[in-house]
Amino acid sequence: MRAALRQFRRAPGRISASVFALALAVGAVGVLAIPAVSEGSLHEAVARDGLADLIVSTTPLSTDQVIQIAALDNVVAAEASIDVGVRADDGEIVRLVGLDIQHQTMDLVHLDAGRLPSGRNEVVTAPSMGAIGDLVFANDVRYRIVGHGETLWWSGRDTLYTTLETARRNTSQVGTNRLTITVRNDGESDLRVIADEVRGVLASNHDTFTAFPIYLPNGTTPIDADIRQISQMIGLLGIAAGLVALVLLASTTNTLITERTREVAVMRALGGRSGQLRRRLRRIALGIAILAIAIGLPLGVLISNLIARMVLEKFVGITPDLAVDWRVLIGSALGTLIGVRLVAARAARRIVKLPLADALRDRDGAPFGRRARDRFLTRLPIGGLSSRLATRSSFRRPARTIAVIAQIAAAVGAAFLIPSLAASVTEFNDATTAPWVWASQTTATDSGLPFDEAIQAAASDSAAQGTVVETGVWVFGEVNDLEVDIYGLASDTRMFTATVVHGAWITAGSRGAVLSEGFARRQSLDVGEQLTVDLASGLVRYTIVGTVKDFGRAVYVDRSVLAADLGAPDHVNAVWSSDADPNFTFPVAIDTSTAADLAAENESGRRAIVAIFGAIALIVAGVAALAVVSSMTVSLYERRHEFATLQALGAGRRRLRGLVIREVVPVCIVGVAAGIDVGGLGTRAIMRAFEESNQMDIGTVQAYSSIPVIAVATLFAMIVLATLVVRRASRRSVAVTLRGAA
Amino acid sequence: MSFGTRCDDDGAMHQTTLLPVPTIAPPNSRSVSIEARDLTRIWGKGHAAQVGVTGVDLEIRSGELVAVIGPSGSGKSTLGALLAGIDTPTSGSLVIDGVRIDNLKRDRLAAWRSGHVGIVFQDFHLLPTLTAFENVELALELGARRVGRGDRRAAVNRVLDRVGLIQHARKLPAQLSGGEQQRVAIARALVTKPSLLVADEPTGALDQRNGHAIFELLTGVAASGTTVVLITHDRSLAEAATRTVAMIDGRVDSIIERGAL
Repeated sequence: MRAALRQFRRAPGRISASVFALALAVGAVGVLAIPAVSEGSLHEAVARDGLADLIVSTTPLSTDQVIQIAALDNVVAAEASIDVGVRADDGEIVRLVGLDIQHQTMDLVHLDAGRLPSGRNEVVTAPSMGAIGDLVFANDVRYRIVGHGETLWWSGRDTLYTTLETARRNTSQVGTNRLTITVRNDGESDLRVIADEVRGVLASNHDTFTAFPIYLPNGTTPIDADIRQISQMIGLLGIAAGLVALVLLASTTNTLITERTREVAVMRALGGRSGQLRRRLRRIALGIAILAIAIGLPLGVLISNLIARMVLEKFVGITPDLAVDWRVLIGSALGTLIGVRLVAARAARRIVKLPLADALRDRDGAPFGRRARDRFLTRLPIGGLSSRLATRSSFRRPARTIAVIAQIAAAVGAAFLIPSLAASVTEFNDATTAPWVWASQTTATDSGLPFDEAIQAAASDSAAQGTVVETGVWVFGEVNDLEVDIYGLASDTRMFTATVVHGAWITAGSRGAVLSEGFARRQSLDVGEQLTVDLASGLVRYTIVGTVKDFGRAVYVDRSVLAADLGAPDHVNAVWSSDADPNFTFPVAIDTSTAADLAAENESGRRAIVAIFGAIALIVAGVAALAVVSSMTVSLYERRHEFATLQALGAGRRRLRGLVIREVVPVCIVGVAAGIDVGGLGTRAIMRAFEESNQMDIGTVQAYSSIPVIAVATLFAMIVLATLVVRRASRRSVAVTLRGAA
Repeated sequence: MSFGTRCDDDGAMHQTTLLPVPTIAPPNSRSVSIEARDLTRIWGKGHAAQVGVTGVDLEIRSGELVAVIGPSGSGKSTLGALLAGIDTPTSGSLVIDGVRIDNLKRDRLAAWRSGHVGIVFQDFHLLPTLTAFENVELALELGARRVGRGDRRAAVNRVLDRVGLIQHARKLPAQLSGGEQQRVAIARALVTKPSLLVADEPTGALDQRNGHAIFELLTGVAASGTTVVLITHDRSLAEAATRTVAMIDGRVDSIIERGAL
């Protein structure tokens, strides 16, 4: 450390740059901690709020039924609650959740302020819904906010948490409609067994599940799959950030040692033993690495927490506390120390082995002319003198040039990846909505198929002349343990334009099913095969009759067949209309969204994904850009005598700038070309990973139109950097610089 | 070889056919080339101030070969740097060939240097990635005057021939001996036909034979009308100059005419 501090006093600018570069390299590795930090925060929230192992929506249940379910084998506790959609004064649907506040062990509402509801029409809400003491109106009922808080399951959604009594009194629920269960053995298969047993208990009283049960085996959360998926992508970018950091670490350490070539040569001339000198050099590098780690680790924690917060706020709606992934923290510190030690040892060995006379004469640790490659370069007929000088300077330090190219490529790759990712997501969003031709979609806010024949008739009757209204079923289910959208449509639907790839479209009254082409291909499900679908009502079978191109993971079956399979013949839960403002008045809570709403939602999702990956890409680009600046600055320092000599011979700043630009431009062009390839491959890899984890077609779109902008911006940045480098180089007195070389 | 020396295989020069020291006209018969008035160069401020030169008054006429001598730290290299325009004085005035260079902006000064001054450094400062030929050509390339490619090649070949290095023209500095590198540096300084040549310890890194040959070359340059300022601590070299400026502690201690040393 003392040696490092002495070095700092000697050249504070350069040492600071090295420390900062290494610190950023250490910090960038923090990207790898994002998944662990996110999952850690999420699981903390799970433990705090008591998330259940199995969550089911049901037809109204009595207390006796719940007691009966709690007595099932392997069940630890079963709790009933009410969860219904109510319309707030502003027309938005909010959730009204009735909980057994006094006795519940699951879905615990944690308070940030105030108290839990106990009296009539008292609620706890998120602060965004109003201040404590404010009144909130929903379905024309007045609720008083007595506390601020929420629980994980509904976090991020506008929710009124109240007592079971208040919820029951203010809704049409004759019993509870939501069941949460914790079990002893919480494996996936155990939970499915319990779900079937619960179905049995409910069936004895003609009750059913109204939505597909949610299994949370082994302490997982509903968004674990999303987090895992996003973590994979972050991991990919984390590896990119790590690699860039590694290049930065290696080049910075290498430079730290190499620039001491002459100093070491003088010590050798004075009798310094090579082992002793190597140790000294290693110590300097390690001292600087320790300083960098001291700055870099908190930076890494900051980076990982900021991005984890973005992920959790967007996907779960919770704001996590500060969390640390000690494995990544310790790993990055050890990795830095070991990396610096290895690179420093290699560089030290190299400069200590240089012939003493050469090393003493050499001013910048990069002799030129002794190798056949150098002599070959002098014979290459490359342009004028300036071009030859630029080319040879680039080849004089091949490792540095390759490192700069790699760093530019990383920065450009990251810059290209973001618009490509955005374009891919936009294209995907457009592709998923393209087959649907409705202008508005009206769905029941609560689970089940609450639109009976009367409601369906009312919908048709209320439609204006020329308006197409079509009813259908849209529920979630599972195929091969993967969640799928299951649509029950009229076989002659006018709301969905089916582009059949294989087989045929569904026919009225048949048990034929049509699958998304990408999903069917990945799951090896062919036309003519039997398809088992896990619905809220249990397992059902269909025959695959065709596949369609829809960029989704969906199963399309006949509407009446699906309704019957769900235990609600002739019922539906969706009304699609060609009118963007159908203004339906149904006796159940509904939510109408337009194509524009869907587009806005898609856009919001796209922005979130782009923001998360953009932040990581920004780190990668930032580290890479800093590495380029660091390399250029060090290069300037090494070549200060060369620049001073050129100035002494009459080169003005413009001339020097021209020389440096000639050197920088080809390197920049190669870097940009490599970066575009890297960014393109990165985008493809990320989208492929998304496709594989989702088991569906998503597609990759490369934002080729952004290439000129990125190329010009990179070139411009490099030219500005070259200008600054030259300005700095020419600021010092030529005589003083040259004398320093002597 | 017109230089009057011969080189053996390893490039070392032998003083077998030394040219006689050319007759240099007395200073008073020529116009003033350099006029320095109260020239001062100080780095830093207050207690940390380091004086390079102070209060230097000096006149050097065209075609003179002036040696600047003095012990280490006496300011002779600083004076040389100021005269060559690679450093700017803190105060005082410096007029060279009628141009006041002490207040020229950085780029104007660079342009002036390229047209008027040739500089020979003690440790050569050749660009390691350029061959001997290219190092010399570089001075023409950077020069204020545009020179056609053919003329440039001819000029470079001529000057390399003059310093006895034409056969090493395609070698890189790392492939040349110290003496050869110094001769390339001299060729680079001469190729632009400067009116002023400043040579800072040009023989400091050389053995006696090579050093003497370099000195002969410089006296030849002076004889052709170029003003030569030779910074040296070698009194025997200084003796051959028309005048010798002796410096101590950043000041001109004395100016001695040839033969008086």
